[in-house]
Amino acid sequence: MPHAVVASPPGRARRVVSTALALLVSAVGVAGCDRTVQPTEVLPALQPGSVDADAGSWRMLVLGGPEQFQVPAPAAVTSDLYRAELAAVKAAQARMTGAQRRALDYWSGGGVLRWNQLLRELVARYNLPPAPRPDGSYAAPDAENPFADPQFPFANPPYAARAYSYVSVAQYEALKAAWHWKFRYGRPSPARVDPDVQALVPTGDLPAYPSEDAVLAGVTAEMLKLLFPASVDEITRRAAEQREAALLSGKATASDVAAGLALGRAVAAVVIARARADGMGAAGGTPAEWQALADDARARGEIAWVSLETPARPPMLPNFGRVQPWTMSAAEAVGLEPGPPPSTSSTRMQEEVAEVRHAVEGLTRAQLAIALRWNDGAGTYTPPGHWNDIAAEYVRDARMSEVRAARVFALLNAAMHDAAVGCWAVKFRYFNPRPSQLDPSIRTTIGLPNFPSYPSGHSTFSAAAAEVLGYFFPAHAAELAAMADEAGISRLYGGIHYRSDIEQGKAHGQRIGAHVVRFARADRAE
Amino acid sequence: MSPSLPACPRRSAPLLVHAATLVLLALAVHATPARGQTLDDGLTLPRRQLRVGVEYGHDRWDRYWEGTLRRSNENIGTLTTQSVTWTAGYGVTSRLTVFATIPHVWTRASEGVLQEMRGWQDVTVAAKLGLLERRVADRATVGTVLLVAVGAPISDYTPDFLPLSIGLGARRATARGVVHLRDHTGVFAEAGAGHTWRSTVHLDRPAYYTDGHLVLSDEVAMPDVFDYAVGAGYQRGGLRLPIMLVGQRTLGGGDIRRQDMPFVSNRMDFVRLQARAMYALPRARGVMLGAGFARTLTGRNVGQSTTLWAGLTTVFGL
Repeated sequence: MPHAVVASPPGRARRVVSTALALLVSAVGVAGCDRTVQPTEVLPALQPGSVDADAGSWRMLVLGGPEQFQVPAPAAVTSDLYRAELAAVKAAQARMTGAQRRALDYWSGGGVLRWNQLLRELVARYNLPPAPRPDGSYAAPDAENPFADPQFPFANPPYAARAYSYVSVAQYEALKAAWHWKFRYGRPSPARVDPDVQALVPTGDLPAYPSEDAVLAGVTAEMLKLLFPASVDEITRRAAEQREAALLSGKATASDVAAGLALGRAVAAVVIARARADGMGAAGGTPAEWQALADDARARGEIAWVSLETPARPPMLPNFGRVQPWTMSAAEAVGLEPGPPPSTSSTRMQEEVAEVRHAVEGLTRAQLAIALRWNDGAGTYTPPGHWNDIAAEYVRDARMSEVRAARVFALLNAAMHDAAVGCWAVKFRYFNPRPSQLDPSIRTTIGLPNFPSYPSGHSTFSAAAAEVLGYFFPAHAAELAAMADEAGISRLYGGIHYRSDIEQGKAHGQRIGAHVVRFARADRAE
Repeated sequence: MSPSLPACPRRSAPLLVHAATLVLLALAVHATPARGQTLDDGLTLPRRQLRVGVEYGHDRWDRYWEGTLRRSNENIGTLTTQSVTWTAGYGVTSRLTVFATIPHVWTRASEGVLQEMRGWQDVTVAAKLGLLERRVADRATVGTVLLVAVGAPISDYTPDFLPLSIGLGARRATARGVVHLRDHTGVFAEAGAGHTWRSTVHLDRPAYYTDGHLVLSDEVAMPDVFDYAVGAGYQRGGLRLPIMLVGQRTLGGGDIRRQDMPFVSNRMDFVRLQARAMYALPRARGVMLGAGFARTLTGRNVGQSTTLWAGLTTVFGL
């Protein structure tokens, strides 16, 4: 045994150990006091202020009318068939698992709001550009092979604007049709028919047949599978979970759910047919078209936009400006567009470039925060997603019926889709260079978007969104307009847009938003 | 006796200014045994000794791991992170040393359009406690050191501009234990491991996507971090030469997605080989020069960086 020498008396060692423990405890206390995330947009169980019994008569955007798809009359609540369904609900409630209860609570926050959150998640998941290949080229995402690298889709802002609008419009159409049949047949919810069925969510006076939850599950799943095919598993699982929650909650029986699902799917088929023919398939353009855009700008004596990425990346969806709008004809859309930007050789342009350079060189922390708050770049839910995020809390707080919530999102997203179409048409008409192209000393504080500068997409989206939301939530119109202005100026702070991009984008967005508001005023939902 | 320290670096103090300052200081002073100054070694300072130092660090990478995929990015080029770190250590007793470090950091990408970032990063305050030191068979000494450290940002930098952000923005607490063994010839070996708890981080935006989920909050949960270091070296007189294998494993967090940018709560793992040399100048009492080199061998969601350090510490007689 080697003899060991204890370096200090035992009493001292004890003091030392207790000092160490005290240090550790206080250190963890200092750093560990804030370890969990406080989520926003928490959704309590939906209790609509009104059932909106007349929603079946509200103006349609795609369907010919609420009876385009017939929903057969349900069995009487006194029938043996219905009694068997009630028994099944009671049995399912009796053996409900914890996971089922959590799913029920989740969906009780409202199907429109929940699907909107899930849609934002899907957009963020797929909003990534293709990586360059070793030869410096970029593969285009392929809808026929969505699981490949690059994944399909690249849910960039125009793709996302269109996706939000298709899902929201399809939901809105399907729910208006559902409301029509609900009040035609007036079948109460199972919890109202049979006191032994527990009402695990507030059921209200809304007739149960067809189930609005199943309508939403059916229509949304079909739309999402079209738009985000690689997430088919999750989409299908969520839709099934929503239908099951409707049943377990005491809101719907099997026939309520089956009728709702069929109606939702039928409406989706109509909207999908529109999507397949709206021009999106050609939005990416061809190398010859990309070259023609540059040649055309040079022929006008302007400096043509070039990609500042390495390797140079093809411009983002150059033909998106030809995609079909929701609320206006192509001619009406052109009538709302702004004129040309300042010439790239003008003094005005030089001044605007200098303004961007000064902005980024002298950026304050508060200005950087604004640039980052509204960045909404790759990997995020995009600017249209940001405005859905903003809208969701207003919709929740207004305690809207599902169909009225769907109206807000449908018209908001129709406006932003139309804003994307209009903005992209102008962007690729003028093919104007970004600030860092005209002055390479301009270093950006956010990612530089890979498409022409004029006008600012953020400004167009945001002004259109604020215009529409300000109409739906007039008490908040001023704060919404201030947010839109902040979103616009954030692009100057980011170093990626000139002031005239922002001002003209805002004015364009406001005109598009006002057009959608005129539609809303006349849609019989007021 | 107590040389003045180099002036606080200006916002864009060039490397040459710092280097020249260090060399001038180095020439001014006299010898002391090489004693602990870093947060991860097994050394403590003598009682009532105040040691102040400054270290310049230069870290660069042109390859990084996007998740587990090692790649380059022509829109980043070479990412260079430079730092000037001020340190102070004080021997409260012969067993208890307290430290503080404050780095000033600046980052730059050689390609692309993204702006560089700079600023004061995080203050770290640490206490290091030497425990259970024993002599073994009159040939060697074995001992343990416990370290407790807390850190917090000292400026309002954004952690949401990676890889150019100067830090991750979390408050943190670390507990670390080190076992060291030294024999009478000067050869030593060390092994240590630590665990770091981190506070949430606030972004300037209301939502973010990471690890498969959209989170509707500006607040980001930061996973704990486990780190370890094993190494050996030689210490004799004024010279100390440790070579360490240093690893970090983040206990959670998502990968950088294909062609995405890094995110603050990513699972950042690495194994680095690190060599340092510390030398107490024989004719300048209290002054110690240090230099180091490290290379990342493997990683996940981090750059494959090469790091160089040069620093100087000096004793203030108390």
